[in-house]
Amino acid sequence: MTEEGKELDPATEFRQLYDQQYVSVYRSIRGVVLESSAAEDLTQETFVRAYRARHRYTPTAPPGAWLRRIGINLAISYLRRQKLARVLPARLYTPPDRRDYDRAEARDVVTKALATLSPKLRAAIVLHYYDGLTRDEIAAVLGVPAGTVASRIAKAVAIMRKSLGSDQDFGPERSTSEGALRGR
Amino acid sequence: MKVPYVDDKPTRGGFRTPSDDDLGRMIRNTVESWRPQRGPDWPGVLIRLASSGPPPWLLYTAASAALVVILLAAFLVGSALQIGALGPQPVPSNLH
Repeated sequence: MTEEGKELDPATEFRQLYDQQYVSVYRSIRGVVLESSAAEDLTQETFVRAYRARHRYTPTAPPGAWLRRIGINLAISYLRRQKLARVLPARLYTPPDRRDYDRAEARDVVTKALATLSPKLRAAIVLHYYDGLTRDEIAAVLGVPAGTVASRIAKAVAIMRKSLGSDQDFGPERSTSEGALRGR
Repeated sequence: MKVPYVDDKPTRGGFRTPSDDDLGRMIRNTVESWRPQRGPDWPGVLIRLASSGPPPWLLYTAASAALVVILLAAFLVGSALQIGALGPQPVPSNLH
Protein backbone atom coordinates (compact mmCIF):
# COMPACT_ATOMS: atom_id res chain seq x y z
CA MET A 1 0.00 0.00 0.00
CA THR A 2 1.07 3.57 -0.60
CA GLU A 3 -0.50 4.94 2.57
CA GLU A 4 1.90 6.40 5.05
CA GLY A 5 1.98 6.00 8.78
CA LYS A 6 -0.55 4.12 10.89
CA GLU A 7 -3.83 2.79 9.66
CA LEU A 8 -6.70 5.03 10.66
CA ASP A 9 -10.09 3.85 11.83
CA PRO A 10 -12.78 5.06 9.40
CA ALA A 11 -15.42 5.12 12.14
CA THR A 12 -13.58 7.56 14.41
CA GLU A 13 -10.83 9.14 12.27
CA PHE A 14 -12.55 9.60 8.94
CA ARG A 15 -11.42 13.19 8.42
CA GLN A 16 -7.76 12.23 8.85
CA LEU A 17 -8.29 9.21 6.59
CA TYR A 18 -9.70 11.57 3.94
CA ASP A 19 -6.63 13.81 4.05
CA GLN A 20 -4.26 10.83 4.10
CA GLN A 21 -5.84 8.82 1.29
CA TYR A 22 -7.32 11.49 -1.01
CA VAL A 23 -4.46 11.72 -3.53
CA SER A 24 -3.78 7.98 -3.77
CA VAL A 25 -7.49 7.17 -4.18
CA TYR A 26 -7.68 9.92 -6.83
CA ARG A 27 -4.76 8.38 -8.74
CA SER A 28 -6.23 4.88 -8.60
CA ILE A 29 -9.56 6.19 -9.93
CA ARG A 30 -7.87 8.29 -12.59
CA GLY A 31 -5.97 5.21 -13.70
CA VAL A 32 -9.34 3.69 -14.56
CA VAL A 33 -11.27 6.67 -15.99
CA LEU A 34 -8.22 8.54 -17.42
CA GLU A 35 -9.97 11.92 -17.01
CA SER A 36 -8.81 14.33 -14.34
CA SER A 37 -12.12 16.13 -13.68
CA ALA A 38 -14.18 12.91 -13.61
CA ALA A 39 -11.58 11.33 -11.33
CA GLU A 40 -11.84 14.23 -8.85
CA ASP A 41 -15.61 14.04 -8.82
CA LEU A 42 -15.55 10.26 -8.33
CA THR A 43 -12.97 10.61 -5.55
CA GLN A 44 -15.30 12.94 -3.64
CA GLU A 45 -18.19 10.52 -4.22
CA THR A 46 -16.02 7.65 -2.97
CA PHE A 47 -15.47 9.42 0.33
CA VAL A 48 -19.17 10.35 0.59
CA ARG A 49 -20.13 6.67 0.19
CA ALA A 50 -17.36 5.55 2.52
CA TYR A 51 -18.46 8.08 5.16
CA ARG A 52 -22.00 6.71 5.06
CA ALA A 53 -20.68 3.16 5.40
CA ARG A 54 -17.90 3.94 7.90
CA HIS A 55 -19.56 2.06 10.76
CA ARG A 56 -19.90 -1.05 8.60
CA TYR A 57 -16.14 -1.16 7.86
CA THR A 58 -14.53 -4.37 9.11
CA PRO A 59 -10.74 -4.36 9.52
CA THR A 60 -10.20 -7.49 7.38
CA ALA A 61 -8.44 -5.25 4.84
CA PRO A 62 -6.63 -1.92 5.32
CA PRO A 63 -8.88 1.18 5.04
CA GLY A 64 -6.99 2.17 1.87
CA ALA A 65 -8.00 -1.07 0.13
CA TRP A 66 -11.59 -0.58 1.32
CA LEU A 67 -11.63 2.95 -0.16
CA ARG A 68 -10.12 1.70 -3.42
CA ARG A 69 -12.78 -0.98 -3.67
CA ILE A 70 -15.50 1.70 -3.44
CA GLY A 71 -13.63 4.04 -5.80
CA ILE A 72 -12.78 1.47 -8.48
CA ASN A 73 -16.35 0.16 -8.52
CA LEU A 74 -17.65 3.72 -8.87
CA ALA A 75 -15.18 4.37 -11.70
CA ILE A 76 -16.19 1.22 -13.58
CA SER A 77 -19.91 2.08 -13.11
CA TYR A 78 -19.21 5.62 -14.36
CA LEU A 79 -17.56 4.28 -17.53
CA ARG A 80 -20.43 1.83 -18.04
CA ARG A 81 -22.92 4.73 -17.80
CA GLN A 82 -20.83 6.75 -20.26
CA LYS A 83 -20.81 3.84 -22.71
CA LEU A 84 -24.58 3.47 -22.35
CA ALA A 85 -25.09 7.23 -22.74
CA ARG A 86 -23.31 7.12 -26.10
CA VAL A 87 -26.11 5.01 -27.56
CA LEU A 88 -28.76 7.51 -26.37
CA PRO A 89 -30.02 10.23 -28.71
CA ALA A 90 -27.49 13.01 -29.14
CA ARG A 91 -29.66 15.50 -27.25
CA LEU A 92 -29.57 13.40 -24.08
CA TYR A 93 -25.85 12.68 -24.22
CA THR A 94 -23.33 15.31 -23.21
CA PRO A 95 -19.82 14.13 -24.01
CA PRO A 96 -17.24 14.74 -21.27
CA ASP A 97 -14.88 17.65 -21.69
CA ARG A 98 -11.75 15.92 -22.95
CA ARG A 99 -9.83 19.02 -24.02
CA ASP A 100 -7.25 18.79 -21.26
CA TYR A 101 -6.90 15.05 -21.89
CA ASP A 102 -6.34 15.62 -25.60
CA ARG A 103 -3.84 18.37 -24.96
CA ALA A 104 -1.64 16.91 -22.30
CA GLU A 105 -2.35 13.28 -21.62
CA ALA A 106 -2.57 11.99 -25.17
CA ARG A 107 1.05 12.98 -25.55
CA ASP A 108 1.96 10.70 -22.69
CA VAL A 109 2.77 7.27 -24.06
CA VAL A 110 1.89 5.41 -20.86
CA THR A 111 -1.54 7.07 -20.65
CA LYS A 112 -2.06 6.26 -24.30
CA ALA A 113 -1.13 2.64 -23.63
CA LEU A 114 -3.48 2.56 -20.61
CA ALA A 115 -6.25 3.91 -22.81
CA THR A 116 -5.97 0.84 -25.04
CA LEU A 117 -6.99 -1.39 -22.09
CA SER A 118 -10.50 -2.08 -20.84
CA PRO A 119 -11.42 -0.41 -17.50
CA LYS A 120 -11.14 -3.73 -15.63
CA LEU A 121 -7.64 -4.35 -16.99
CA ARG A 122 -6.63 -0.77 -16.14
CA ALA A 123 -7.89 -1.24 -12.59
CA ALA A 124 -5.79 -4.41 -12.17
CA ILE A 125 -2.69 -2.72 -13.62
CA VAL A 126 -2.96 0.43 -11.47
CA LEU A 127 -3.65 -1.53 -8.28
CA HIS A 128 -0.69 -3.81 -9.03
CA TYR A 129 1.95 -1.36 -10.22
CA TYR A 130 0.95 1.87 -8.47
CA ASP A 131 -0.74 0.74 -5.26
CA GLY A 132 1.59 -2.26 -4.99
CA LEU A 133 -1.20 -4.64 -3.98
CA THR A 134 -0.70 -8.39 -4.17
CA ARG A 135 -2.96 -10.50 -6.37
CA ASP A 136 -5.01 -11.60 -3.36
CA GLU A 137 -5.47 -7.97 -2.26
CA ILE A 138 -6.45 -6.92 -5.79
CA ALA A 139 -8.86 -9.86 -5.91
CA ALA A 140 -10.46 -8.60 -2.69
CA VAL A 141 -10.69 -5.04 -4.05
CA LEU A 142 -12.18 -6.06 -7.40
CA GLY A 143 -14.30 -8.90 -6.03
CA VAL A 144 -12.89 -11.51 -8.43
CA PRO A 145 -10.76 -14.67 -7.89
CA ALA A 146 -6.98 -14.25 -7.66
CA GLY A 147 -6.57 -16.32 -10.84
CA THR A 148 -8.68 -13.81 -12.74
CA VAL A 149 -6.47 -11.00 -11.44
CA ALA A 150 -3.35 -12.86 -12.62
CA SER A 151 -4.75 -13.35 -16.11
CA ARG A 152 -5.96 -9.72 -16.27
CA ILE A 153 -2.50 -8.43 -15.31
CA ALA A 154 -0.80 -10.75 -17.82
CA LYS A 155 -3.19 -9.69 -20.57
CA ALA A 156 -2.84 -5.98 -19.73
CA VAL A 157 0.97 -6.22 -19.60
CA ALA A 158 1.04 -7.96 -22.99
CA ILE A 159 -1.17 -5.28 -24.57
CA MET A 160 0.76 -2.41 -22.95
CA ARG A 161 4.18 -3.78 -23.90
CA LYS A 162 3.01 -4.11 -27.47
CA SER A 163 1.50 -0.63 -27.43
CA LEU A 164 4.56 0.97 -25.81
CA GLY A 165 6.92 -0.98 -28.03
CA SER A 166 5.31 0.48 -31.11
CA ASP A 167 5.86 3.99 -29.72
CA GLN A 168 9.46 3.79 -28.59
CA ASP A 169 12.52 1.56 -28.39
CA PHE A 170 13.67 -0.06 -25.16
CA GLY A 171 16.33 -2.49 -26.35
CA PRO A 172 19.74 -2.96 -24.81
CA GLU A 173 21.16 -2.38 -28.26
CA ARG A 174 20.24 1.30 -28.01
CA SER A 175 23.36 3.36 -27.36
CA THR A 176 23.46 6.36 -25.09
CA SER A 177 24.26 8.64 -27.97
CA GLU A 178 21.31 7.44 -30.00
CA GLY A 179 18.85 9.84 -28.36
CA ALA A 180 21.16 12.74 -28.93
CA LEU A 181 21.68 11.77 -32.55
CA ARG A 182 17.93 11.35 -33.05
CA GLY A 183 17.34 14.78 -31.52
CA ARG A 184 19.46 16.48 -34.16
CA MET B 1 -7.40 -12.24 -26.80
CA LYS B 2 -6.52 -15.26 -24.70
CA VAL B 3 -3.27 -14.91 -22.78
CA PRO B 4 -1.80 -17.75 -20.70
CA TYR B 5 -1.06 -17.30 -17.01
CA VAL B 6 2.27 -15.54 -16.53
CA ASP B 7 4.15 -15.58 -13.26
CA ASP B 8 5.87 -12.59 -11.67
CA LYS B 9 9.25 -13.34 -13.31
CA PRO B 10 10.51 -10.16 -14.93
CA THR B 11 10.85 -10.32 -18.68
CA ARG B 12 13.85 -8.81 -20.42
CA GLY B 13 12.90 -6.18 -22.92
CA GLY B 14 13.44 -6.81 -26.58
CA PHE B 15 14.42 -4.25 -29.13
CA ARG B 16 10.99 -2.69 -29.31
CA THR B 17 9.23 -3.67 -26.07
CA PRO B 18 9.90 -2.54 -22.49
CA SER B 19 10.82 -5.13 -19.86
CA ASP B 20 8.39 -5.77 -16.99
CA ASP B 21 10.59 -3.67 -14.70
CA ASP B 22 10.59 -0.79 -17.20
CA LEU B 23 6.83 -1.06 -17.60
CA GLY B 24 6.23 -1.04 -13.85
CA ARG B 25 8.51 1.98 -13.43
CA MET B 26 6.83 3.84 -16.27
CA ILE B 27 3.35 3.20 -14.89
CA ARG B 28 4.39 4.25 -11.37
CA ASN B 29 6.05 7.43 -12.64
CA THR B 30 3.05 8.35 -14.77
CA VAL B 31 0.48 7.69 -12.04
CA GLU B 32 2.56 9.58 -9.45
CA SER B 33 2.69 12.59 -11.78
CA TRP B 34 -1.13 12.88 -11.64
CA ARG B 35 -2.14 15.58 -9.19
CA PRO B 36 -5.74 16.61 -8.47
CA GLN B 37 -6.45 20.17 -9.62
CA ARG B 38 -8.73 21.03 -6.69
CA GLY B 39 -7.21 18.79 -4.02
CA PRO B 40 -8.94 17.53 -0.87
CA ASP B 41 -12.17 19.43 -0.17
CA TRP B 42 -13.71 18.23 3.09
CA PRO B 43 -16.49 20.89 3.11
CA GLY B 44 -17.42 19.59 -0.36
CA VAL B 45 -17.89 16.10 1.09
CA LEU B 46 -20.09 17.51 3.87
CA ILE B 47 -22.21 19.43 1.33
CA ARG B 48 -22.70 16.28 -0.73
CA LEU B 49 -23.65 14.36 2.40
CA ALA B 50 -26.18 17.02 3.41
CA SER B 51 -27.73 17.36 -0.04
CA SER B 52 -28.02 13.65 -0.76
CA GLY B 53 -31.24 11.85 0.12
CA PRO B 54 -31.62 8.66 2.12
CA PRO B 55 -29.44 5.69 1.15
CA PRO B 56 -30.93 3.38 -1.54
CA TRP B 57 -31.32 0.41 0.83
CA LEU B 58 -33.49 2.52 3.15
CA LEU B 59 -35.57 3.75 0.21
CA TYR B 60 -36.17 0.23 -1.14
CA THR B 61 -36.99 -1.16 2.32
CA ALA B 62 -39.48 1.64 2.98
CA ALA B 63 -41.08 1.20 -0.45
CA SER B 64 -41.38 -2.59 0.04
CA ALA B 65 -42.93 -2.14 3.50
CA ALA B 66 -45.41 0.42 2.11
CA LEU B 67 -46.43 -1.99 -0.67
CA VAL B 68 -47.05 -4.81 1.85
CA VAL B 69 -49.17 -2.46 4.02
CA ILE B 70 -51.22 -1.32 0.98
CA LEU B 71 -51.88 -4.92 -0.17
CA LEU B 72 -52.83 -6.05 3.34
CA ALA B 73 -55.16 -3.07 3.83
CA ALA B 74 -56.78 -3.70 0.44
CA PHE B 75 -57.37 -7.35 1.38
CA LEU B 76 -58.88 -6.46 4.77
CA VAL B 77 -61.11 -3.71 3.32
CA GLY B 78 -62.15 -5.90 0.40
CA SER B 79 -63.05 -8.84 2.60
CA ALA B 80 -64.89 -6.63 5.17
CA LEU B 81 -66.97 -4.88 2.51
CA GLN B 82 -67.29 -8.06 0.42
CA ILE B 83 -65.98 -6.31 -2.67
CA GLY B 84 -65.09 -8.09 -5.91
CA ALA B 85 -63.50 -11.52 -5.67
CA LEU B 86 -63.48 -11.27 -1.86
CA GLY B 87 -67.31 -11.13 -1.74
CA PRO B 88 -69.54 -14.25 -1.62
CA GLN B 89 -69.57 -16.03 -4.94
CA PRO B 90 -72.89 -17.04 -6.54
CA VAL B 91 -73.36 -20.80 -6.41
CA PRO B 92 -74.66 -22.28 -9.70
CA SER B 93 -78.11 -23.77 -8.94
CA ASN B 94 -77.72 -26.68 -11.36
CA LEU B 95 -74.90 -28.23 -9.37
CA HIS B 96 -75.77 -30.78 -6.69
